[in-house]
Amino acid sequence: MFEQEDDIVERMIRQLRRAVSIDPGLDARVMSEIAHDAPPRAAGRRPLLRAMPWLAAAAVLAAVVLARPWTRGAGNGSMDAFQFVLVAPQAASVSLVGDFNDWDPARSPMQTAHGVWATVVPLAPGRYRYAFLVNGSEWRADPGAPAAKDDEFGTPSSVVTVGGKGS
Amino acid sequence: MILAALLIATQIAVQDPRLERLDPETRSLVVTVVDSARAVGLPGEPLIQRALEGATKGAPGARIVAAVRRLATDLGTARTALGTRASAPELEAGVAALRAGATPQVLTRLRDVRRPPLTMALSVLADLVASGVPADSASAVVLALAPTARDADLVEFRRAVERDIALGAPPGGAAAVRALNTGVRDASALGSQPGRPPRRP
Repeated sequence: MFEQEDDIVERMIRQLRRAVSIDPGLDARVMSEIAHDAPPRAAGRRPLLRAMPWLAAAAVLAAVVLARPWTRGAGNGSMDAFQFVLVAPQAASVSLVGDFNDWDPARSPMQTAHGVWATVVPLAPGRYRYAFLVNGSEWRADPGAPAAKDDEFGTPSSVVTVGGKGS
Repeated sequence: MILAALLIATQIAVQDPRLERLDPETRSLVVTVVDSARAVGLPGEPLIQRALEGATKGAPGARIVAAVRRLATDLGTARTALGTRASAPELEAGVAALRAGATPQVLTRLRDVRRPPLTMALSVLADLVASGVPADSASAVVLALAPTARDADLVEFRRAVERDIALGAPPGGAAAVRALNTGVRDASALGSQPGRPPRRP
């Protein structure tokens, strides 16, 4: 039995070792076909986006939400502008309050577009506690920022840290 | 001269119109704490902001005063650990790190291995613990990264760990593995075993 198996293996090895002749023009033809096929493949993706425009809109919204708070570059002196965003479609008003505006809801009212509330605040280097005040009474932390764990007043808060020179 | 400085500081605090949002009794007690802190060279603004936070959130006066006193104490501890040259933002971040569970010795070591400002490193340390990373692991990781990492690197490190945790990785393991990926070679220096590697999408 083992001899028969050895024969089979030997024949397979001989077969695999046989030289395979390839047309010298094969490479050129393959590359030509690839180059020819490329534009139709790219065009093939377009109907997907045409069919689902909300996909592109959701991707843009997700990028905005997940990227915040984000630095928009240096402002006056060492101040950096930070954008704060809260998605609250049902809210009638949202204010940003924190260490940077004396926790005064009137100082940083947020503007809305289709339920996405946003405002930009210049911040100097430091660590700031903040929260969103929704409809004048409901406190919400920023779901996209680290939570302030040492809250002593029984409501959720978040923190944002602005680096100094050399950051 | 000290008396004069105290009087000036008291005047500044009393005249600060922001504190008028507090009831008179609470305001008086908060002003006393702020004055005492300033008299020993601690920043008064974080104390005022904590009082204003309590006022806006409708906290009882006693709770506001307790929070301000506690913060003043912690600012003093942070300054002892970070040194008298520490800036107000560094002291605030130091308080956050201490409250997260870092020891004063960790703050002192961080000061020794990293060029100032230390605000971001201290803050990332506190935020990692807030994300669930054990305090000793977070301290070890930040100390390992601190000598060479830029502030932006530390922020990206924190975000990566938070993403891994959100995907189901154990917090300590996520921090350890991410630290190894950034070039920290000795896993035992991180204070915990990496365990299960973070899941990827």
